[in-house]
Amino acid sequence: MKNSLKVERAIKDITQEELAKVIGVSRQAINSIELGKYVPSTILALKLSRYFGKSVNEIFKLEETD
Amino acid sequence: MDTRFLLPNKFKLMGWILLVPSTILGLIQLFYLSGSGLKFLDVKMFTIYSGNFAPWGSSSVILGFDKVNFTGTIIGIFFILGAVMVAFAKEKHEDEFIAKIRLESFLWATYINYAVLIFCFLFFYGIGFMYVMIFNMFTVIILFIARFNYILYKTTKQLKYEKQS
Repeated sequence: MKNSLKVERAIKDITQEELAKVIGVSRQAINSIELGKYVPSTILALKLSRYFGKSVNEIFKLEETD
Repeated sequence: MDTRFLLPNKFKLMGWILLVPSTILGLIQLFYLSGSGLKFLDVKMFTIYSGNFAPWGSSSVILGFDKVNFTGTIIGIFFILGAVMVAFAKEKHEDEFIAKIRLESFLWATYINYAVLIFCFLFFYGIGFMYVMIFNMFTVIILFIARFNYILYKTTKQLKYEKQS
């Protein structure tokens, strides 16, 4: 799964740490999602979607191997 | 993740305070006192079974009082309480990502523990295997603590690189 979290974060000009605080997760979680090492739960994906004002589909995309 | 089975974060420090000294004392008792205990900790204690190696031998006590030594008992209990607190106290930011590392580390620790045990079954015999059994009582949780904290450390270190870039 690919994601555009880093891009979204750049648009909003918010650091990983700030985003983590707003969403209520660890900085490691945000970082690992951006690096593609961790697939967030539906709840976390929805929270991110709500924060950025974009649908989950716009932020997270399936890859062929998924 | 539902974390109701985890302990509050403050237990972590308390756990280390119990775990470190009991580990050191345990190793001292095992290797320097050859498993024997301190004299003043000789007590008469109710036992379910107490006896020597031959099971149900004439000197064994079943469901009755026997003269036992409490040194290993105290060290062992302190070790287990400490290790459980260290292993299962919440992180400051306990979230689903930490929960994933937790579960993965447990799986990893169990695999490694039993792989090592199979190795020891093959290459340790007699009193040597008894030592293996003593250590094996405590290794799963130690492996877990080591792996879990190593991964946490690694992901935190990664954060610092991210900040610089």
